Amino acid sequence: MGQLYDLRVKIEEKIKHSGLDAAEVRGKIGLRSGRLIAFISPTTPDDPAAVAKLKQAAKDVLNISL
Amino acid sequence: MKWNSIRTKVLVALAACLLVGVCGILTLMHYSFERNSQVMAAESVTGAQKLFAILEAREISKMTAVSELLIVNPPIRDAFAAKDRSRLLELTAPLYPKLKSEGITNWMFHTPEPDMTVFLRLHNPPKFGDRLNRFMDKEAARTHAIVVGNELARAGFAVRILRPFYDSHGAVTGYVEFGEELGQFIHAMKSQTGDEYGLLLSKKFVDRQFWADSNAVWKRRDNWNDNPSFVVADKTTATDSIIQFQGDLAAVPSQGKVLERFRDGSFVFVRGIFPIRDAAGNIVGAMFVVRDISGFYLAMRHTQTVLVLLTVGALGLGTFLVLSLLNRLVFRRLERIIVVATRVVGGDYESEIQVTSNDEVGRFEQLFEQFRLVFVELR
Repeated sequence: MGQLYDLRVKIEEKIKHSGLDAAEVRGKIGLRSGRLIAFISPTTPDDPAAVAKLKQAAKDVLNISL
Repeated sequence: MKWNSIRTKVLVALAACLLVGVCGILTLMHYSFERNSQVMAAESVTGAQKLFAILEAREISKMTAVSELLIVNPPIRDAFAAKDRSRLLELTAPLYPKLKSEGITNWMFHTPEPDMTVFLRLHNPPKFGDRLNRFMDKEAARTHAIVVGNELARAGFAVRILRPFYDSHGAVTGYVEFGEELGQFIHAMKSQTGDEYGLLLSKKFVDRQFWADSNAVWKRRDNWNDNPSFVVADKTTATDSIIQFQGDLAAVPSQGKVLERFRDGSFVFVRGIFPIRDAAGNIVGAMFVVRDISGFYLAMRHTQTVLVLLTVGALGLGTFLVLSLLNRLVFRRLERIIVVATRVVGGDYESEIQVTSNDEVGRFEQLFEQFRLVFVELR
């Protein structure tokens, strides 16, 4: 438990330092991964498929490997 | 270009319509040209056949009228009855050049049956005494009536009339014959229709040696070996190249037959053929008809080009208008919704959707805005 939340934190950090429009980037990642980033909390259960999709969405939008 | 976008799919559909439209026009024009050229070929065959029959009837009528005058001419009648060849020649020879200028190239007197030999040939006076033994001779001897028809003889293929000659007591003293070469007809036909003609004779009815001899006399090329089953007796063109027929003349149907269309350089032709029968009803030859349809072909191509350009223009304009309309009414508004939705999903809950109309997309904008407000309330 916590892997999804860790990813969310890393993505938020990256957005913060990238200077991009945060709402737009988060929205794009949400659309691609099928999961709203804002709704990922420390208690959100991990799901390998969801983790993989979020990683792929982050790579597509922000060009980062998590 | 995004292949999964609606815009691309609409564009592809419209391009497909354009392609189908152009292909449809090309197919339609091709079909129309095929059909019309077939009709033109059929008309040229039918027309040529009718014209040939008219010319044949006219010439038979002319020769019949001339023969009527002869049989009521007492000096000629008596000279023939007396079998006085020199007197008959003396009386008739002055008439021959005039008749020849009118197309009557053969003029003969025959003795009565049973011999029925040539008594006098006005077109070749030194030659006489031979027996022709043709169908028309036998028919005239059998019926003692006027016999008309085409007869293929050594002198050529001619339309002839043969009628009995009577003395002052009504007894048959012999027969008079007039003939006109059928080859003359094709030149008259060409001057009337503009089509090209060729007179073909079946080799079965032509003597090989005679053909070679007559070509030598007329200083013509011996064309016997040009075609397997027929010879070209006369033609209106300088070349034999447009006269192409592979079949058997005897198999050509009575109403004629349309042959294929062909090209010669920039010219397009259609051709057909109809049979020519002799007095006995045998198909001894055929008339080959060639019509130049280049003008029609060019007009068709011009129409085709104009139609294709008009279709491409109309469908291109239609495509532009449809895409512009879809862009304005659907795509741009959908993109705005996507941008706002993306921002809301990304946490910018204050991004509002402006409802721009009350059409289908407008109602969707309104519904989405209501969802957004519910989402903000629940957050």
